[in-house]
Amino acid sequence: MPFDDPAFWRAGAISTTVVMSIVLAMLTIDSLEAIAPGGSHVPPYTVINRHIDYAHNAKLGRDMPTIGQDEPLFGRAVEAPEAAALIERGKLVIQSRACIDCHTFMGNGAYYGPDLTKAWLDPAWEAWAAITGAESREEAMVRFLMAPDQYATWQRRMPNLGISRDEAVATVAYLKWLASIDTNGFPIHFGRIKVSE
Amino acid sequence: MSPVVFLVTSSLLGFMVLAAGAYALLYGAARFRESYALLIAAGFAYAMLALDAAGIVLATPLTPPWKLLIAASALAYFAIPPLTWRALQYAHREEGTHL
Amino acid sequence: MSRSKSLAVKYLAAAVLLFGVMTLAGLASAVYYINPDFLFGFVPFNVAKILHIDTMIIWLLMGFMGAVYWFLPEEFGCEPAGIWAAEILFWVFVAAVLAVAAIFVFVQWGPGTETTLWLFQQGRKYVEAPRWAAIGVALVMLVFAWNVVGTALKARRITGVMAVMSVNMVPLVLLYLIAFPKIDNMAVDLYWWWWLVHLWVEATWEILIGCIMALAMMKLLGTSRRIVEGWLYVEVALVLGTGILGLGHHYFWIGTPDYWLGIGGFFSALEPLPLLGMVVHAVYDAGVHRMKTSNQPAFYWTLAEAFGNFLGGGVFGFMITLPQLNLFAHGTQWTVSHGHFAFWGAYACGVLSVCYIALQEQRRLVTVNGSGWVWAFVLLNGGLIGMVGSLLVAGMAQAFFERAIGGSTLEAFIAGQENPWFMLGMYSRFGFGLMFAAGYLTLAWNLSALGRRQVAAVPQPMPAE
Repeated sequence: MPFDDPAFWRAGAISTTVVMSIVLAMLTIDSLEAIAPGGSHVPPYTVINRHIDYAHNAKLGRDMPTIGQDEPLFGRAVEAPEAAALIERGKLVIQSRACIDCHTFMGNGAYYGPDLTKAWLDPAWEAWAAITGAESREEAMVRFLMAPDQYATWQRRMPNLGISRDEAVATVAYLKWLASIDTNGFPIHFGRIKVSE
Repeated sequence: MSPVVFLVTSSLLGFMVLAAGAYALLYGAARFRESYALLIAAGFAYAMLALDAAGIVLATPLTPPWKLLIAASALAYFAIPPLTWRALQYAHREEGTHL
Repeated sequence: MSRSKSLAVKYLAAAVLLFGVMTLAGLASAVYYINPDFLFGFVPFNVAKILHIDTMIIWLLMGFMGAVYWFLPEEFGCEPAGIWAAEILFWVFVAAVLAVAAIFVFVQWGPGTETTLWLFQQGRKYVEAPRWAAIGVALVMLVFAWNVVGTALKARRITGVMAVMSVNMVPLVLLYLIAFPKIDNMAVDLYWWWWLVHLWVEATWEILIGCIMALAMMKLLGTSRRIVEGWLYVEVALVLGTGILGLGHHYFWIGTPDYWLGIGGFFSALEPLPLLGMVVHAVYDAGVHRMKTSNQPAFYWTLAEAFGNFLGGGVFGFMITLPQLNLFAHGTQWTVSHGHFAFWGAYACGVLSVCYIALQEQRRLVTVNGSGWVWAFVLLNGGLIGMVGSLLVAGMAQAFFERAIGGSTLEAFIAGQENPWFMLGMYSRFGFGLMFAAGYLTLAWNLSALGRRQVAAVPQPMPAE
């Protein structure tokens, strides 16, 4: 009876693993193309020069980012190399401060602070512009990141992580680009429904 | 999917696998104790599972392919304990420890 | 005792000590949720969290290595090839772990430069250790692989279990290399990072613990090698058959195309099927042996492994794995609940089982019994079940109020976190965490004191076929 022979199951294990690995390799090639900057799901880094929003797409039946008119970060449009440098710096700041061990990015990370996937679009920044005395959302974000312990958020406070102005600017650029990625509708209902009091 | 329906659907899915575990546990216990009462209890656990799966298929907003998968899983859950038990008995037949 | 077994005891002892550090850091992480001012300005939440999750990875890894070094001489009838290198690297590994822990606690972060990634912090979940330390871990893995594969070559023979383990060493070493690069694009970064977390931890580790448990079963229950190897191949086929593309359930929301919703959902929905077979198998073994072996704690921890894996991976995982539901539950305490239970069942219980198997032989005990291990078993499992139950309540509240009702913004996040159900879960998690910590202390005491006052014969090791 072949089912009783370990060699039968060994052959099964090897063939299953090989087939699944080949399928994964093929899907990986396709996925990496889709998520490269400028791919079908991830806009190029220069998207930080544009207005970004998040809306429900009735045809697809899910929420997805929309890219609008020119709206450069800090009122100054950047070329592709400068945008790439900002993103590179922003990622270094995010890793060097281990942001992902308090927050989540696309739902991955730690759950002590809010998810940052669409943080750029959070309506709360309108209030924070007033609190920080800033004239724009990006400036409010920069001021908060540089001295989060000086502003009363809620019971859980963000510690001061010694983020310089340049680092904060790069981080804000990163968060703006991040908000433009099509994440298949995650997070759901973002900003469309107010919390009832 | 409404908030309440989301929670109910999730709970039904968890309960379905939990009932499958209870069925497997009771089925195994019934076989090695040769207990008819335990076998009936295993049947009851599976009935709970089947009821739960029917609830998921008929009353939740999961899309049809997922409902099909749930229905197929419910059938597979029925077959796995007896098949595994038979395979174990066969594998251990020469050790004199089979039940 | 052979050099390999001496090294195994060192690795298992280090693993149990780090298990304690993990527990302590976990308790600290739980305190922040109920008292956000806890250590504010001194040690931020992320440091406690990093210590908690990184020590979890390291103690389990050390536990696996200890188990393998324990069984290697018996499988091949000789000392492992390059055992001297493994002995040196053990101390290098321990020193590196201590140095990294000190850096995390006292340095915490650095400026946003590559230097920070090399010296202090890489800031990627589970692999936060700076690159210099990651190089050390890679070196330890490489020597570990050499010990296993080299010994087979030296002995000029191989068993089925060791063949699986040897082949598994290739992805075990290669996938860890994903711990090094800094990838600017978060979508691409997370794509490869999940290869590290899912395919390394949840696939190659599954195979490794499968091999270890196969060896443990032969020793503990006297099961024949033919049967054990047959089941091991079945497990490899099922774990990799569902697990390789089950990776897709991590690709729902990271920017990847939406075909992953179908692929990931389908393959991860299949995962409870083999786990159900494992439950039947555990019942069969328990029945055959009438719940009695010469090493009761090792036997009970293997049963806990089967049931924990089923409940944590199967039941808790199935609740949130379909994409329509995962959209609400992803990245909440619900995920935490599933993660804690699954890791405990899949790995921790198995390592603890091997600890008792090794102790029985090292201390020459005919039987291992007493009440100490029972207390540890009950407190640890009771504490863990209480914790995951509490986190489930908190996670359901979070998914409901923050995501389904609130709209996932900062305001919705705060509403979810302040919800009484969520806070009830957090307080309750801390309470059960204390119970778990009491279980850990009992376990540590039991492992150190077990059989110290007994004089007994050496149990005969199972000869390799």
